[in-house]
Order: sequence, then C-alpha cells, then structure tokens
Amino acid sequence: MSPGRNTASPKEGFMVNRLPYLRKGFWFFLLPGIIGLLLVIILPFLVTVAASFTKWNGVNPPTWVGLANYERAMGDLKFWAAFRNNLVMILAVTVVPTLLGLLVSVFLFDYITRKFKPGLANFFRAALYIPQVLPVAIAGVVWRWILNPNWGSLNVTLESLGLGSLAHNWLGDPATALPAVMIIMVWFQIGYPLVIFMAALQRVDPELLEAAEIDGASWLQKFFHITIHQIRPEIFVVVLTTTIYALKIFGQIYVLTRGGPGSATIVPSYYTYQALFEQANVGYGSTIATIMTIIIILLTFAFIRIQVRHEFSRQEV
Amino acid sequence: MSAKVLKLLSFVLTGSLLLGLFACQPAPTATQAPQAPTEQAPAPTEAPTEAATEVPAENRVLKVWHYESDTGAMGKAWLAAKEEFEATHPGVTVEMDNSKGFEEVRQTASMVLNSEEAPDVMEYNKGNATAGLLSQQGLLADMTDEVAKRGWDKIIVGGLQTTSRYENGVMGSGQWYGVTNYGEFVMVYYNKALFEQHGVEIPTTLEEMEAAMDTFVAAGLVPIATGASEYPAQQIFYELVLSKADQDLIDSYQLYKTPVDFHNEAFTFGAEKMAEWVEKGYIEKNSTSMGAEDMGLGFESGEYPMMISGSWWYGRLMTEITGFDWGIFLFPGNEFNPGSGGNLWVVAENSENKDLAYDWIDITLSPKIQTIMGNEGGLPVNANADEITDPKVQELVEAFKEFSPGAAFYPDWPAPGLYDALVSNVQELINGTMTPSEMLDAIDTFYNENRPQ
Amino acid sequence: MLNTRRFLGETNKYLSLILLIVLVMIVLYPLVIIGINAFKSPQDYASHGPMSLPRSFYTDGLTAFWNRVSFGDKLINSALISSAVAVLAIALSLFNAFALGIGRVKWTTAFLVLFLLGNFLPHEALVYPLYYFAKALHLYDTRLAVILVFTVIQSAFGTYLLTSVFSEFPKELIEAAVIDGTNKFQLLTRIILPLSMPTLSVLFVFFFIWTWNEFFLPLILLVSSANQTVPIAIATLQGQHNMDVTTSSASALLGVLPCILFFLLFQRTLTRGITAGSIK
Repeated sequence: MSPGRNTASPKEGFMVNRLPYLRKGFWFFLLPGIIGLLLVIILPFLVTVAASFTKWNGVNPPTWVGLANYERAMGDLKFWAAFRNNLVMILAVTVVPTLLGLLVSVFLFDYITRKFKPGLANFFRAALYIPQVLPVAIAGVVWRWILNPNWGSLNVTLESLGLGSLAHNWLGDPATALPAVMIIMVWFQIGYPLVIFMAALQRVDPELLEAAEIDGASWLQKFFHITIHQIRPEIFVVVLTTTIYALKIFGQIYVLTRGGPGSATIVPSYYTYQALFEQANVGYGSTIATIMTIIIILLTFAFIRIQVRHEFSRQEV
Repeated sequence: MSAKVLKLLSFVLTGSLLLGLFACQPAPTATQAPQAPTEQAPAPTEAPTEAATEVPAENRVLKVWHYESDTGAMGKAWLAAKEEFEATHPGVTVEMDNSKGFEEVRQTASMVLNSEEAPDVMEYNKGNATAGLLSQQGLLADMTDEVAKRGWDKIIVGGLQTTSRYENGVMGSGQWYGVTNYGEFVMVYYNKALFEQHGVEIPTTLEEMEAAMDTFVAAGLVPIATGASEYPAQQIFYELVLSKADQDLIDSYQLYKTPVDFHNEAFTFGAEKMAEWVEKGYIEKNSTSMGAEDMGLGFESGEYPMMISGSWWYGRLMTEITGFDWGIFLFPGNEFNPGSGGNLWVVAENSENKDLAYDWIDITLSPKIQTIMGNEGGLPVNANADEITDPKVQELVEAFKEFSPGAAFYPDWPAPGLYDALVSNVQELINGTMTPSEMLDAIDTFYNENRPQ
Repeated sequence: MLNTRRFLGETNKYLSLILLIVLVMIVLYPLVIIGINAFKSPQDYASHGPMSLPRSFYTDGLTAFWNRVSFGDKLINSALISSAVAVLAIALSLFNAFALGIGRVKWTTAFLVLFLLGNFLPHEALVYPLYYFAKALHLYDTRLAVILVFTVIQSAFGTYLLTSVFSEFPKELIEAAVIDGTNKFQLLTRIILPLSMPTLSVLFVFFFIWTWNEFFLPLILLVSSANQTVPIAIATLQGQHNMDVTTSSASALLGVLPCILFFLLFQRTLTRGITAGSIK
C-alpha cells in the first residue's frame, strides 16, 4: 500500500483519505449540505414518524392514538401483500437488469465495438437507455395499450402468429398482472446498469485479460475472475441503488394497475399514497411510509457495511 | 482543461441567470384556450405576501377552476358564463383554469384550499367522500344564506339538494356547501344497429335483458362494454343491488341512517348476479384491465351492443359515433338508478371574493347559460325546455326526468377511499378470486372502517 | 481486451447484430406507438384504435393540448427547475464531497450514510411535512420550493458518488498544492474541480433527467398552472372523464421529446464521465 493513501483502518470508516495537515476548516464546506439535509429530509421524516402515531386527516388537528396504526398494519393483509410484492419486484428491478446489463454491456463493449464501429455500440446503448428517459406516466399509458386484452398489439400479434391461446388479460388477471409489471420494469430499468457498466468496463486493464488468455483461460473464466472483479464497485452501486428503487416503486404501479387487480400488484408506496390522498388517513399512511423507510435504512446500513469490508479486502490486493 | 472549466462556468452562469430571472419574478400568465381577445388576465404575483390587501374595487380577479373539457357541454356553457360575467361586472376579470384533471384536483384539494393559492370558486365532486370531507375540514364557505337570498333552493330541488348540503361531512341535511348546475345519471346506451340485426327489443325487465344478452352471446358478441379498472363496473354492481333496494337501504348506505347489512337481500342479489353475469359471458373477464376510456371506445367502435354508464358520455358520443344509430334506456326494472345532481360549485372559505363567486354561480344557473348547456348535450337543471332544439338532447332530458325521483347517488360515496376498494373488490369478483360473499365482507370491512364516525 | 472470439464464431457476427436490433426494436416500440397516435384525429382513433397507423396527418391534437395546458409555460418551468437543480446540486455535492472525501472530517462514514439515505427516502414519507413547511415559509406554489427540495435530494446522491471519486484522489497533487500555499477554496476550484469534470458532467445529465421526470412532489408543491411542470401537464389527462386519447399521445410526444433531445445531446458525456476511478 502506498504510504498516505487510504491508510485508514476499518474503524475510521471507508472512502477516507488521510490528510492530517488539512483537516481543519472542512466543516465549513459541509454546512450547506447539512442544513439542506436537515430541513428537507430529516425534519420532515421525523414529523412523518410523529404523524404515524396519530389519527389525522391532514387538515384538522391530529389526535394521538399511540401504536394503534402499527397494530392495524400488522394485521392488514394488504400491507403484507404490498411488501411481498416488493420482494418479488427486486427480482425484476435489480437481479434481472443487473445480470442482463452485465451481459449486454460486455457484449456491446467488446464484441460490437471490435467487429463494427464503436459508434454502433453507442447507438445501441443510447437506444436501450431511452426507457429511462421517458416519463413514467407516458410509458405506462403506452404499455397499457400494448397489453390491452382485446386490441393490444401483444395479443393481436400472438393471434396472428397462431398463438392465440397464449393471449391473456395481462394486467387484469391476478396470475399474470405481477409478472407483466415485472417485465415492464425490466424494460424500464435495463438502460441504467448498461450505461454504468459500459463506462466501468473502460477501466478493465486489457493487459490482465491478455495475460489470462495466454494462460489459457476460457471466456467464462475471464468474465468472472477478471471483468466482474474489476468492476465490482460499479456492480455494487447498481445493486444497491436498484434495490432501493425497487422498494420505492410507485409511478409504474399507479399508471399500470393502480395496485390491482385486487391486491395483486399493490406496493407499499402506492398503499401509502392511497391512505394519504384517497382516504385522507394521514396517520395510517405515515405509518406505512415509516415502516418502509426503516427497512430502507436498515438495508442501506447493511450494504454499506458490506462495501466497507470489500473496500478493505480490495486494498489488500 | 480550461475548456472544461469554461463549460462548467457556463452551466453555473446560465443556471444562476435563469434562477435569478425567473424564480424571483411573477410567473408568466397561463394562456387560456382560444378566447375572445379582450381577456388578458393579470399576472398572479408569486411574492410571498398575504392575500391581496388593498385591491381597488375595479381590477378584481375571480379565480374559477373546473375540470371539464372546453369542447364538452359544461365547458362551453361556462365559457359563455365567463363572457356574461365580465360583461355584467366591469373591472372584474375571470381567470378560468381547467388545465387540471379531476384526479389532481382531488388529490390536492384540501392542501390547496388550505393555502393562499386557493381559487375563489371551483368545481368539485359531490358526495361525503369528496365535498363532505372538505366541508368537515372547514375549507368550504357555508352558502346557506346566499342560497335563501338568491332563491337557488327553488331551482335545486328534491334529490338535487341532497348533494348540496352537508352536516358533519354527511350529505342530505345541514348547511349548503355546494351548488350544482347540472344533473347526471347512469343508464344503458345501446347500439340500435346491433339490436336490429339480432332481432332484440329494448328490454323492460331484468329477465328480458338477460334473454337479450343470451342472444348476443350466442352470436359471439360480448353484450356489455365495461371497465373494471375504473368506475364503470362498480356502477353495474350497484345497479343490480338497486334492483332489489328500497329507499331505506339507500338512506342507510349513503346517509348512515341505520347500520348497513351487507348480506341483506339486495346486496347479496347484486353480488351473486354480477358473478353470474361474468360466468354467462355478459361481462368479459378482460374488463379487469380496461378503464372507462376503453369502455367508451369499445362501444363507439360498434363492438359491443350495450354500455352501462353515465350521461357524461352523451355529448361525446353525439360527436364521435358516426357508424351506427344509438339510443338509451333506463336499466330495466329498476326504481332506483345511480345518479345525482352534477358536480358542485364550491366556494373557498379563504376566498376574498365570495360576493363575486356567488354572482358567478348565479350566472351559471341562469336560464340563458343553462339552455346553452342543454343544447350542447348537457343535462341542465334550469333551462328553457322550448329552446332545446336537438332531438337527441331532448331524449336525454326526457330520460333524466324519468330517472329523477329515484336518484341513488353512487356506490363509492359513503367513505373516502371506497372508490379504490370497490374497484379492487369488483375486479376480484370478476376474476373469481373472491366469492360474492367474500366481496361483500370486504366492502363491509372497508365501509365501516372508513366512513365518517 | 475481452476476447469473446471463442464464445461466438466469426459467422455469428451478423446474427448477434440482428439480435441486438430486435432487442432495440422491442425496447423502442412504445415510443413508436406514441408517435403514431400523436398525429391521429380522435375520429380515426375511435374507429381504428391506437395500434393502427393514422389515416391522415393530424396536428390539431398537438395544438389543442399545447393550448389547453399552456405547454410552453410548462416547458419553461420544467427546464428552469431541472437545470437549476442540476447546477445547484452539483455545487452542493462538490462542497460535501470535498469535506468528506478530501478533508475527511470526523464521522465521515456516518455523514455519507445520512446523505445516501437522503436520496433513498421515499417521498411519501416527506410530502405532508414539506407541504406545511412550504406554506409556513410562503414558498407553497413556488418553483423555488421545488428547486430547493430536489437540490437536496439529488445532491445526496451526488455527494455519495463524488466522495467515492475524491477518496481515490491522488494525494500527491494535493500535497503539491498545499506546499504551494493554496487555501482550501482554491484547492477545490483550481485542482479538484477541473479534474472531476467528467463525473460532474455525468451528474449533470442524471440530475437534469431525474428532476425533469419527477411527478409526485411537484404535484403537491405546485398549484397554479403557471408554475407546474411537464409531467403534471401530461398526468392531467389521466382523469376520470378524459379528454381524447390522441391528445394524450400528442402530449406524451411533446413531453418526451425534450428529454430525448437532451439525452442525445449529452450522451457522449456519459461515456467519458462515469469512469469514477479513471483519474490515473
């Protein structure tokens, strides 16, 4: 390890650069950020937590009810359905896009760039990122058209191919609703890991790969042991951010299914929205939001700890 | 290196320039839809001062919000009302804003009305869950005195008054918090061509209706267009419940006069009949992912013989259906049907222009404006009957007269959020994931947990 | 370089290209649907549905929508808010990351987690309190309120990313600067800033797009139609008794074009930029 570079021990935290002679005076730079965080995030969240212990319609003064909302949530089937759907959603928002993103990015970066012009790879990347750029409301409306059971292009195409028996009431049948939403989420998400990984791949040292090839490593071995290992920080960031995003999903559900049919696609943030804005039950809505946030906080902590450990094991190299 | 710094600097400069220019100045005025060129609404100030302190008697602004389209009956009538108002109130400008949809208005209503940004008068949905809720939150002006003074209670009579008056958030009695200026109700739209083609007559009883639908099913058609991802399907359920209902049931369900037994004859009949209709193919399972718009389009394209929905479609169908002849009839055999007075004009408690707001409401209720509304396909409450020229519109007005004594409001009114619960439960009934009994239990639970106590 | 030659033969070169093209076509299909319907008349739509090509080129839907929601104003609002947030959030992230990544203040890790959470927190947990704060500060229904809120939220992510970049910053450069007698501010602007331009450019693109597409908080904080943004204008058409769907599509197209244009313009920066550890 080069002296003076990341010599911080695990106790001192990660991503730390030791510069003893410049330590003082940095607080000044942190001040605006802290104030902003306090006013926009921390204080409002604390207010929401407080509201979760009340019965409140958002306008008239609230009444204290203690843990009643939490008790209600524990026994609420819809609540549990929402979180269960969240877990399933992680598959569609994190696992599949990350894996797919990895494969496609490697494919584009290496194969397409070499066999064709690099501009072609850029074109594909831009095209695949477009879903991320579209406003959710619009994408949702269009997907509803595509999946319409009677005249939507999916079913119409299936019929014309003679596969009419595969046609379903995609968003209206509880058996297919959640999978359909998941596939739409993959469509929506694929661009994000793709862009990040393609940039990260630029960091992979070609000499390492050539050396491995000379040693007789197969494509798969090189992929796993060198490529993936090298871009681990980016993979980590992508997994973390997409997982959190999966837990917060709202827009797509709102536009596609409104949480239906029944409770087939309900998610916590949509349930919160319903309580806050449809039922004017700010107390209960705050409860669900609080629980959701606590889970996100715990997850974030867990991830950061894992990252810290990896940071330091990486420095051993 | 310097190029990059330059780039960043230009970002910063542009950003702060824009910020400085715009964020501190009054926001540009919202341009209205193509208007008579005389109207130029003054810019609303963004400065965080209290609501206008010394505004001269002239140069007042009346903020009116609604969510009807400019090409619909109400939209057109209200545009005419704006002209009339400005002609009779020199120095006052009407700032009409219909750029928000109802969803947005509903979601943010209590927040907006509770702030300085509140409009003076706005269109709002009627019922306990909407206007009732706002009245309970103290956000709406109590118009009872005005109503008496101006004689509006002679125009808005009978069942129409029910949705205008609220006590503790419950409609039917108490102070006047809203005034409607049109009516609406649910009936059966039917495709005359398809009926003729299959030798079907207009049914007069439920049994005849079912027989008619059997004929259609046998011919490979889906008899009823509906959408179960939004409001239409639950209104069909309600029609079926109403077929066995009496005034007491409506009073207990809508006005909480007595506790509701969700497993009584009417509700049980409604739920079981609906499930039966799905089984027999009268209502398709695909409807669970179809919304109101899909339903309307389906009917307009001539695919479905019937559509059970409200008078708010009438004007649009008049313009858009060109391929076949169509008509309406009331749900056969029912004494009661969903429907009520139309959306309300409510006045914000925070408003500084209440007098102007009341004048506005007066004008929209005037025979002149009401007749315009009627002729555009709307359902006026105070129009000159002999000035309604279009025969299609006369049909509608006639049907409304027939319906009026049996107004049963709408199934989602009794509790905030009941709309979503009904959508969800009816979807499950159609999909078969809930039995009729389970569905009634679910509605029971939600209703009792969320209704005003 | 990664060698996939053994995995895919030479002849498969074009096969894989075709596969990619198919993938892209599937991905872009929804965009095409928006396009065809934006130029369709309501009668055409009513008779033939959304999936068919328009029988004639119809631009009235676009103009009707533009006027009804004064789309010009919405565009200006969205552009203003998004660029202001992007610039301010970058500045804030820079300051924060400078303190955390270079300066290593006490409790750096804790702050980092706090900032990260600032970006992760579901907006539903913030909405009612923010509404009341905004009202109390007379910032309700102002674009400034939205700018402030999203500056904090986006900068939280920027802080996290930049801190990671800065913590890898070559110490020699900083030492050299200190020996030359630079103060902290000069260190930030003269040395750190220029070298992090690639990352900052990426953040600018992300922040702009993310803020542009935000719907929920702007809906609550912005009331008068003069202040509202593009996504709200589009969502107007999702109500109970809609306006016709072709106008919806026209609105969709108008709402999407700025984003796509912006993205295409700045696509290059994404390539050059995200190499967080590329300051070699």
